[in-house]
Amino acid sequence: MRDTIKKEARKQFFRYFRVWFIVVGILLALAVITYITHVIKNNVPRANHSAPAQRVYDQANVLTDKEEDSLRQRIAEVESKHHIDVVLVTFSQSVEGEDAMRQYGYRSTDWEQNMQDYADDFWDENQYGYNKGFEGDGCILVHNWYEGQNGEHLSTSGKVEAAFSSYDIDTVLYAVDRYYDTDPYKAYLAYIDEVDSLLSQKEHPIGTGTFSWTAVLLIPSVAAAIYALVNLRQKKAEDTTSSSTYVEERKPVMKAQSDEFMHKNVVTRRIESASSGGGGGGHSGGGGHHTSSHGASHGGGSHRH
Amino acid sequence: MIFVCKNCGGNVVYSPEKHTMFCPYCDSAGSGERKDPASGGDISVCPGCGGEVKAGEHISATQCPYCGNYLIFNERVEGAYAPKKIIPFQMGKEACKNALKEKFKKNTFAPTDFLSEAKLDSIEGYYVPYWFFQYDTNCKYDGEGTKSRVWTSGNIEYTEISHYRIHRDMDIDFKDIPVDASVQMPDDVMDLIAPFQFSQMEPFKPEYMSGFYGEKYNMTSDLVESRADSRMKEDAEKLLRESVSGYSTVSAGSKNIQVLDSSVEYGLLPLWRYHYQYDGQAYPFYVNGQTGKIVGTLPISKKKVWAYTGTLWGSLAAILALIQLIALWI
Repeated sequence: MRDTIKKEARKQFFRYFRVWFIVVGILLALAVITYITHVIKNNVPRANHSAPAQRVYDQANVLTDKEEDSLRQRIAEVESKHHIDVVLVTFSQSVEGEDAMRQYGYRSTDWEQNMQDYADDFWDENQYGYNKGFEGDGCILVHNWYEGQNGEHLSTSGKVEAAFSSYDIDTVLYAVDRYYDTDPYKAYLAYIDEVDSLLSQKEHPIGTGTFSWTAVLLIPSVAAAIYALVNLRQKKAEDTTSSSTYVEERKPVMKAQSDEFMHKNVVTRRIESASSGGGGGGHSGGGGHHTSSHGASHGGGSHRH
Repeated sequence: MIFVCKNCGGNVVYSPEKHTMFCPYCDSAGSGERKDPASGGDISVCPGCGGEVKAGEHISATQCPYCGNYLIFNERVEGAYAPKKIIPFQMGKEACKNALKEKFKKNTFAPTDFLSEAKLDSIEGYYVPYWFFQYDTNCKYDGEGTKSRVWTSGNIEYTEISHYRIHRDMDIDFKDIPVDASVQMPDDVMDLIAPFQFSQMEPFKPEYMSGFYGEKYNMTSDLVESRADSRMKEDAEKLLRESVSGYSTVSAGSKNIQVLDSSVEYGLLPLWRYHYQYDGQAYPFYVNGQTGKIVGTLPISKKKVWAYTGTLWGSLAAILALIQLIALWI
C-alpha cells in the first residue's frame, strides 16, 4: 500500500513538472550547442606581438604596487574576454599653453587637443592593438595629474572605436570622475569595468551581456514563495447563503415606503488654479573620431576637472 | 427495522440516482418490504441476522457490522423523535466522490492518497437532525438619507446636499431557517454546508434512511433557537438596508424587528462524510447530499510542499541561468 502511494506520488510529481523539465532539457541542449559554438568562435589568438606586455604606466605615481597588480589582473581578464588591449597611463605634465607646446613639442596650446595627442601617440608608438599594431583593437586612458590641468582622456581604436559612441566614451569618463580624487585605484578599476560592461552589451544584443546571480536566485525565490503561499491558502468553504435565502418567496412584502424631501444646503468653494514650471538639463557628448599624427584613426574624449 | 427485497430477501436501500428503493442484490426497484425486530423495539438486535448492534446514544440508522444490512432504530424515528420532513439524498456516493476529486484534484500539496479510491470508498451517507424555524416578522426602519450633487461654474465649485426622511415598513416571513440539532456536528460546518433546496423536502418516511447512517436530535429546539433568531435578525436588517438605495449617506436611524408568529419543525438533511486521517490527525470533510457543496480543510503534506516548491525554484533558476548563458554565448 505504502509502495503504491509512493509510486503514485512520483507519477503525479513528474506529470506536474513535465513541461518544466522539457523546457529545462531543451534549454540545456541549446546551452551546450551555443557554448561549443562560442568556444570555437572565440578562440582568437593574439595576432599583434609588437606591443609591449605592460598595460599600466603609473608615471604620476598615484597607485601602490599592489593596486597596479590588481589592475593588471583585471585588464588581462577583459583583454581575453573581448580580444582587445586595455592600457592605462597616469602622468603629470603641463599640456597647455605656449610653454608646454615649446617644451614638449605639442602641436597646439589647447589642453584637450594635447591630451588627445598624448593618448593617441602613446597608443600608436607602442603599437598597441590586440589584432594588429596599427589601428588595432583596444583603448587607452591617460590621466594627467598636473596641478591645474587634472583630467583624463580616453582614446579608442579598432573595434572599440567602432563600438563606442560619444555617449559611451562619456560614460566611461564619468565612471572615472566619480572616484579619481578620493581613490584613483577605484577610478581606474571603474574604467576597466565600464569598458567591459559596454563592450558586453554591444557584443550581446540579447540580455545585458553579463550573468546576473540576482536574477537566478531572487526571481525564483519570489516566485516559489508566491507559489507556496497560493497553494497553501485555503478556506473551509464560502458562505453561499444570502439575506433572502430563508425568506418566503425570496422577497419581503413592502407595506409602506417613503422618501420624503426635507431640505437642502449648498456649499461653494473657489477653485485655486495652480501653475508649475520646470527646467531641462543638457548632456554634452564626448569627442568624436579623428586621425592621429601617426595617421591612425581614433575615437575618444576628455574630461577636465 | 430493515427493508428487505420481496424478490431475493436482500437488504433494500434508497437510491439517490433512481429516487426509489432499490435492491443492489437483484437489481429490482421498488421491491422493499419493512421488517421489524421480532421482539418489537429492541433496538440493539439486527432483524437481518440477529446480531447485537451497538446503537450508541443518538444513532438512529447504521449498518450491521455482521451482515452489512442497514438498520433503522424504530424508537429513534418514531414518536417524540419522528422527523416531520426530510430531504432525501439526491447525490449518490459515486457523484460525491467525483465532486471531491473535481474540487481537490488541483491541490498540489494534498497527501497523495487523499483522493485514492481506497480512501474515498470510506465515505458515509449521513442524515443530520435539524430544527427548522419559521418566523413571521414585521420590520420597520426610520432614518435620514442624503443625496449630493457637485457642479462647477467659472472657478466656483458647488456642492448641493439634499436631506430626505426615509421610512420602510415590510413583512418578512422567514421559512425553514435550519439549525442542526446534533452535538457532535460542528456548528460552523453545518452553517457552511447550507443552503439546501427546500423544494425537494418530503414528508419523512423511514425508507429514505435505508442505506445511510442517521442520528436523532440530541439538542432540543430551545437550546439552538438563539442561532436561528440571530440569523433571522441579521437577514432582516440586511433586507431593510438593501431596501434603501440611491443615497450618498444613510443614517443608522431606528430599526424595529417584531416577531408576529413563530414555529419550529424537526427534520433530517442529507450529507456525505469523509473522515480522512493524516499524520495522526482527523480531517473531516462534509458534502451536501443534495447540492454537492463541500466543506472541509485539506491536510498539507510537508514533504510535497518542499518537493514541489523546491523543484519549481530549481527549474526556474535553471531556466533563468541557461537563458543568460545562451545570451552570453550566442
